[in-house]
Amino acid sequence: MSILINKNTKVLVQGITGKEGQKAAAAMREYGTQVIAGVRPGKGGEIVEGVPVYNSVKEAMSAHPDISTTTIYVPPFAAKEAILEAIENNIAIINTIVERIPIQDTAYCLAAAKEKNIRLIGPSSLGYISPGEGRIGVVGGPLSLANEVFQPGSIGVISRSGGMTNELSWQIRKAGLGQSTAVHVGGDLLMGTTYADLLKLFEKDEQTKAVVIFGEHGGGYEFEIVDMIKNKEWTKPLAVYIGGKFANLFPEGMNIGHAGAIVGKGQSAEEKKAALKSVGVLIADTYEDLVTKIKPFA
Amino acid sequence: MVFFLGGIATNMNLYEFEGKNIFSKFGITVPKSVLLRREDNVIEKYNQLGIAGVVLKAQVLSGKRGKNNGILFAVSPAEAKQAAEKIFASNIRGQYVSAVLMEEKLNIEAEHYLSITYDTNKKQPVLVYSQDGGMDIEDVSEEKIKKQYLDIRQSEINSDIPFANELWRCFLQSDARVVEINPLVKTVEGNFVAADAKIALDEDAFYRHKDWNFEPRTMLGRLPTEREIEVKKIDEGENYYRGTAGKYIEMDGDVAVLFSGGGASIANMDALIQVGLKPDNYTEYSGNPPREKVYQLAKIVLSKPGLRGLWIAGGTANFTDIAATFSGIIDALDEVKPSYPIVIRRAGPNEVEGKRLMEECAKRNNLNLKIFGKEIAMGETAAVLVDMINK
Repeated sequence: MSILINKNTKVLVQGITGKEGQKAAAAMREYGTQVIAGVRPGKGGEIVEGVPVYNSVKEAMSAHPDISTTTIYVPPFAAKEAILEAIENNIAIINTIVERIPIQDTAYCLAAAKEKNIRLIGPSSLGYISPGEGRIGVVGGPLSLANEVFQPGSIGVISRSGGMTNELSWQIRKAGLGQSTAVHVGGDLLMGTTYADLLKLFEKDEQTKAVVIFGEHGGGYEFEIVDMIKNKEWTKPLAVYIGGKFANLFPEGMNIGHAGAIVGKGQSAEEKKAALKSVGVLIADTYEDLVTKIKPFA
Repeated sequence: MVFFLGGIATNMNLYEFEGKNIFSKFGITVPKSVLLRREDNVIEKYNQLGIAGVVLKAQVLSGKRGKNNGILFAVSPAEAKQAAEKIFASNIRGQYVSAVLMEEKLNIEAEHYLSITYDTNKKQPVLVYSQDGGMDIEDVSEEKIKKQYLDIRQSEINSDIPFANELWRCFLQSDARVVEINPLVKTVEGNFVAADAKIALDEDAFYRHKDWNFEPRTMLGRLPTEREIEVKKIDEGENYYRGTAGKYIEMDGDVAVLFSGGGASIANMDALIQVGLKPDNYTEYSGNPPREKVYQLAKIVLSKPGLRGLWIAGGTANFTDIAATFSGIIDALDEVKPSYPIVIRRAGPNEVEGKRLMEECAKRNNLNLKIFGKEIAMGETAAVLVDMINK
């Protein structure tokens, strides 16, 4: 088993005629994932990477009603429209690789997606990979590298960083273990799919015995994990690394106003770690320590 | 909320006077004021304002200026001049005083608090209001703070809080991440006035705001250094979205770093400090930037005098071409030919070719350089650099 993707997942690529879209379509197909259609207004009828291109998501969906996941490869200023088009057409999972989307546009898309119970992964997410099942986006890189780093196993991987999704998965592989699914959730302040959202899926996944998280400061997402554990919604071993201790070298002047402190009361890095520790989460001091901490449970 | 971590510095913090200019465009009342720059004639400006009782406020990017002599009062031109000079000469927690804002002194009856920002757990904006505003707002008890969650798609707020709708429109139309009025003053005359303004803009929305022409600044509140200004230019223009190489913060240490990827940079900065080294800078490139961009960045990083070491580190890249990005670094190394130790740890596509090119560069320039791939974790190579520096 795996989460989010399996061999039957049918994928659409929005922005397939662009350089990044083409690269992603090729990377997914190379890994055995069924990319069955692409979208690019005005380019309907073309074939890219062996995949038919349509003028709109609606056209693509009427030709391929079994599409269940879409991936967004458009410039930041076109992202909101592309995501909303996918939401309107009820595609269950939307992976958004686009970086530097204005936060207001992200918030708008998240509000629209929530109403329809649609899952948005990203923005700024390179995608996710379930070894042996398939991948969305370019996580893992070229096939030879992906096969070197990823092999089916029992560890779930969640990372705020794309490079670290691969690096952490490699450390797991080097320790003689494998991954169930590795997800790059993206580093934006607003995360479409949070740690907690993924832990819910990993909890139900029999293949996953334990999970590691490469986190970053910013946002109060760790507290959702604390609540889940208290409510027994998460019962498996979990190790977390939260980077950014060096930020103490800078003056505190980088916060502006009190709004963040009021909305996020009690959400400093130290408070996050203490709260996670109190419910039994393993706290890693370095990222490679994540693997050492989780290995006994794999 | 330190947004520069792990990614792009997406927050552009505004000075109070810039925030107030924006507020007044949206119908939020602000005190009558004039802005003083260092070269200005204060007495002329005081007379121009035409109000006897004034307050002079240091324009800095962080708070706590009230407790650091950054706010002074005056009732005459001479006093105003003296106060302005004092503020310009002061050091407010290392912050650069960009200007002094001279305003009418308000007759305060009460100080309220009003802000709008994003709540990350709810993933939507939240309006925060309290009738107990002012300097100690963070200590006000929860029950005295009113929070109202907002749907980003709503154009009106159903609320009788003063300026709630004006601030909401300001938040949306300005592409702000934070808008805050503290204190929101209720005057003895019964009017509401924004006595302070804190706005953080979302830099990712720059392309739809041709009006954003603000003076240079850093997240740290000080003026940007020459190197920081140079690095920022790398990402400007038509190459803006072709990878990122324009992030660089100059620091006090003596070990230069050149990291790839936001997450790896954070882990590596922590690792560097853990082994007792002091970073000279924080920088990262990411998203497969072209050779030329990496070259420009590397050259500026290496231009700092007094360096004792260089650490080039990154994770196992997904699609960044290691040989191509290394070529940019090699171009800079060929020019600068540093004599201090260099440690490199990087993996990913084209890593074998990248390593070969780097080793050739080390050989022809006689560099004291060690290069590693993914056989060893990033953090472990920080210890290698310590050993080489101590030799």
